[in-house]
Amino acid sequence: MAVAETFYEVIRRQGITRRSFTKFCSLTAASMGLGATGAAKVAQALETKPRVPVIWMHGLECTCCSESFIRSAHPLVKDVVLSMISLDYDDTIMAAAGFQADAILKETREKYKGQYILAVEGNPPLNEGGMFCIDGGRPFVEKLKEMAADASAVIAWGACASWGCVQAAKPNPTQATPIDKVITDKPIIKVPGCPPIAEVMTGVVTFITTFGRLPELDRQGRPQMFYSQRIHDKCYRRPHFDAGQFVEQWDDENARQGRCLYKMGCKGPTTYNACSTVRWNNGVSFPIQSGHGCIGCSEDGFWDKGPFYKRLSNIHPFGIEANADKVGMAVVGAVGVGVAAHAAITAVTRVTVKHDDKAPPKA
Amino acid sequence: MGVQTPNGFNLDNSGKRVVVDPVTRIEGHMRVEVNVDSDNVIRNAVSTGTMWRGIEVILRGRDPRDAWAFTERICGVCTGTHALTSVRAVEDALQIRIPENANSIRNIMQLTLQVHDHIVHFYHLHALDWVDVVSALSADPKATSALAQSISPWPLSSPGYFKDLQGRLKRFVDSGQLGPFKNGYWGSKAYRLPPEANLMAVAHYLEALDFQKDIVKIHTIFGGKNPHPNWLVGGVPCPINVDGVGGVGAINMERLNYVAEIIDRSITFTDQVYLPDVQAIGSFYKDWLYGGGLSGKSVLAYGDIPENANDYSAKNLLLPQGAIIDGNLNEIHPVDLRNSNEIQEFVAHSWYEYPDETKGLHPWDGVTVPNYKLGPNAKGTKTNIESLDESGKYSWIKAPRWKGHAMEVGPLARWIVGYAQAKPEFKEPVDKLLKDLGLPTAALFSTLGRTAARALECQWAAYKLKHFQDKLIATIKAGDSSTANVDKWEPSTWPSEVKGVGFTEAPRGALAHWIKIKDTKIENYQAVVPTTWNGSPRDPQGNIGAFEASLMNTPMVDPNQPVEILRTLHSFDPCLACSTHVMSADGQEMAKVTVR
Amino acid sequence: MNIMAQVGDISDSHGEKAVARRTVYVYQAPVRVWHWLNALCMVTLFVTGYLIASPPESVTGEAYDHFQMGYIRFAHFAAGQSMAALFLLRIYWAFVGNAHASQIFYVPVWRAAFWRGVLHEIRWYAFLEKYPKQYVGHNPLAHLMMFGVFTLGTLFMIVTGFALYSEGAGRESWQYKIFGWVFSLFPNSQDVHTLHHLGMWALVTFTFLHIYAAVREDIMSRQSMISSMISGERQFRDEEA
Repeated sequence: MAVAETFYEVIRRQGITRRSFTKFCSLTAASMGLGATGAAKVAQALETKPRVPVIWMHGLECTCCSESFIRSAHPLVKDVVLSMISLDYDDTIMAAAGFQADAILKETREKYKGQYILAVEGNPPLNEGGMFCIDGGRPFVEKLKEMAADASAVIAWGACASWGCVQAAKPNPTQATPIDKVITDKPIIKVPGCPPIAEVMTGVVTFITTFGRLPELDRQGRPQMFYSQRIHDKCYRRPHFDAGQFVEQWDDENARQGRCLYKMGCKGPTTYNACSTVRWNNGVSFPIQSGHGCIGCSEDGFWDKGPFYKRLSNIHPFGIEANADKVGMAVVGAVGVGVAAHAAITAVTRVTVKHDDKAPPKA
Repeated sequence: MGVQTPNGFNLDNSGKRVVVDPVTRIEGHMRVEVNVDSDNVIRNAVSTGTMWRGIEVILRGRDPRDAWAFTERICGVCTGTHALTSVRAVEDALQIRIPENANSIRNIMQLTLQVHDHIVHFYHLHALDWVDVVSALSADPKATSALAQSISPWPLSSPGYFKDLQGRLKRFVDSGQLGPFKNGYWGSKAYRLPPEANLMAVAHYLEALDFQKDIVKIHTIFGGKNPHPNWLVGGVPCPINVDGVGGVGAINMERLNYVAEIIDRSITFTDQVYLPDVQAIGSFYKDWLYGGGLSGKSVLAYGDIPENANDYSAKNLLLPQGAIIDGNLNEIHPVDLRNSNEIQEFVAHSWYEYPDETKGLHPWDGVTVPNYKLGPNAKGTKTNIESLDESGKYSWIKAPRWKGHAMEVGPLARWIVGYAQAKPEFKEPVDKLLKDLGLPTAALFSTLGRTAARALECQWAAYKLKHFQDKLIATIKAGDSSTANVDKWEPSTWPSEVKGVGFTEAPRGALAHWIKIKDTKIENYQAVVPTTWNGSPRDPQGNIGAFEASLMNTPMVDPNQPVEILRTLHSFDPCLACSTHVMSADGQEMAKVTVR
Repeated sequence: MNIMAQVGDISDSHGEKAVARRTVYVYQAPVRVWHWLNALCMVTLFVTGYLIASPPESVTGEAYDHFQMGYIRFAHFAAGQSMAALFLLRIYWAFVGNAHASQIFYVPVWRAAFWRGVLHEIRWYAFLEKYPKQYVGHNPLAHLMMFGVFTLGTLFMIVTGFALYSEGAGRESWQYKIFGWVFSLFPNSQDVHTLHHLGMWALVTFTFLHIYAAVREDIMSRQSMISSMISGERQFRDEEA
């Protein structure tokens, strides 16, 4: 086997000059807010590292994360796959199948023990002995644990791997389980979204290959560079929110003027993602820009925080569907009726119970 | 020796059993087992959907206006098509009429998906079944250039271009880290392309990878993102404002120009790259006409792309509707999705149970009780399967039947129906392609035919994109900018109990959702999807499904290298997450799902 | 009740004796000031909080010209922060004020007499007792409600309120550093919004009952309630039974 070539060698051979390379490094560093010393680090990392093996496994999912990944415009996904990482296993695009595919998993575990990244799309179901997701005749969850055991780090792609997503929405018939509940001894980077933004996905991968470390994670395990601010905080329609200008109904004059979708149930105020800044598909648009509110797809359990077209989430007190306002008003109403009745009885009692000056008898 | 199925296949499971699990380059999880005879010809085929998610049960009790988002997540590859089917089902139930612009925009989004999905399928999921990547290293760039220029005016075809690409490929291979190309079946005799054709195809693999990310920007413009753009019951969420105050916040001239530019590029790419490639590759596999399966017998299409809004009758649909059975192209049967005797699902060989498993159920009345158990002759254990027993239950996919017939759906089915209807826009391109390749009409019923129909459909869809873009602008010009009908947006305006059905032609074939709404909530939801049809296991009568049928009688070069199996299965573009999420919304079944 | 100050037999100009009434100084000035300021905060928070979730009809014109939601939210945040500050002062006063000042911060769950008192009050409100008992501070049932709904409720609203505020203030803010842990309990802040909203309705309900009970007891128990929160003195119009 030839000596594994580095990112730098790859791009030099592709005709990129040293000068362009340096410029790329400083731009990369600047975009990550790292300054001049950062640029040197980027350059050093890219010059010396062989491509990191990545094993990309699929559990219960819809493949939207893979589809999103290949939409990456910078870097192009072909450059990621040919020059930045070594995507040795990904059942959605790999040439091999059956036991030839399985052989790659075994080989990677032995050859790159503790050095490969495990990227997981989807999640394992635990009901039915795990056989709601069968891979190679066995429960997916077993394969997942095996591959996680020797990985250096784990990336949880999308809402499925991070939170559970749609198959874990109530009543979660397959007991679909986020991967951090079954992989407990490895660092897990959650990159939520349904799917995550393409450039966020490649951004996370290239951060790791470039800097040789995991990005800073927030309280929920998400890279804080992309997930520390709400859609709402950076939304270009925010001035309309502050002004009190809302879309009141679909396709009304407010909608046509691009006003705030808060009243249409937009979950932007509670959703941490980069949609309103990075935007989608090379910055073309994002849901709000195209007239539909955010459904909160990068948030934990967002499927059960609906309806999507109401600002307030439905809750299920006593099995009846209502939101906080309905519950609150019902309680206040009930209390009001109770108080009125109580007051009436009090008045009647006061009139009918005769005693001197309404005072208790002296003892 | 063997068993004759009612739909005309002789099954013999006495030979060597070959298992392929996982089947890769598909959406989701799938397993296939075949028996080959002493000449390595497949004599029995068993296809198994190996995942199940239960999305319909999750939908029960939710707001019907939210259903599109849930069903959209059935599949991220054919993203949006389930959402469209869902909003149509809800609109059918509530009798909501959508504006003309919404119809045009929805058609543009659906056609965009067809174009995108077909291109990605051919180049990134299917091409490696025909193209030997490693062989490309020995190609002569000049000869490659000559080949490329002889079949297409596509400008990226100079000797230098191919030389540069070959160099990059060589360095990649030399690095020893083959990534997704690792452990491929390179050098197998099943590959027949000369090195130059392989190199050209690899170049286009990469070009298509670059281009596909641009096609979907149409979804991003109208739906805000891709994968999984946004939809709306009653229309589309994006308002149109071409010359009013605040037009920058809506679909305006800049956005429309953006869409038009992508449509033009899509037409160019399908005209100059995709179709010539399919034709060139096909010319080397002309005598490999296996994999016809059910396509020459029974095909089904629901039809799609309504020319005018709110009319889903066959005459208003640009993609054809109809069923053909027993290979009789002279008779096209009408299809009624509401008729409980037409579409029925069986579970005799699926991991579900019915009270009476000899009977099928219409989706509006569907029930699903998961029942995971292996047949008596299966090898291995319940959680470590070595081989399955097809005489018992063996798949998470149900077996849908149309009037009792196993049907093939998909681009080839659509094009066969269109061809049989003698519609020029379907018949003429098929005849031309067959003539250019020097093949008879019967050659259409094959793996290659499936792949070719997809390419023709991609081209058709690209041109239809332009049609609806023009129509959208014409309607706006006529003074109608509306995109949503909100008359029945509020649940208080809904009847207490209604049911509806919505259908589309997904890239992979006929797709329909059946919904029952009670007291403003979803009471029952069922989806019968293309891969449920194609990936269907056997039914109680013993009819085999389209995947299984297509593998029959195919000779393998080497049973340890399942190139031929993959080639034929991939020609259907299987989508397992779609096919195996199916579950009815009956409450009591959940008790059956327990942790073992 | 030895701390009661007797008003004594004072004759008026007609030579008639006024009825002897006992009063006792319960609510010290800081508590009274806090009560009414807190009430003002709560009303402000109820109104603005409701409007934040369900904004008024859109204003027309350019966004630049308006700041309606901004002002509503500002009022909410200002009232919330004031309430939190007042709450801290109130806690301080619980330590330095009179014996009644700390009553709302604990429940004597260990005292059987307390629970008997609660039962008696429930029976009184259910018209099963003919006469109320007299208490200088809160009666046991009121005490329980005060602590369980008002004090804990306010604390919950302050914690969730600051946590929600930290979403806008940012990860570097002191609010996030102190209250960010809320999002470890509820990773989706939509849940925190829902709970905060439910908390509001709990306090609205409390307020409603509080006012009713005060008015009613003023009349029925023949003990001053509302004026007590102004003067600080509780007047007992009857001798204790």
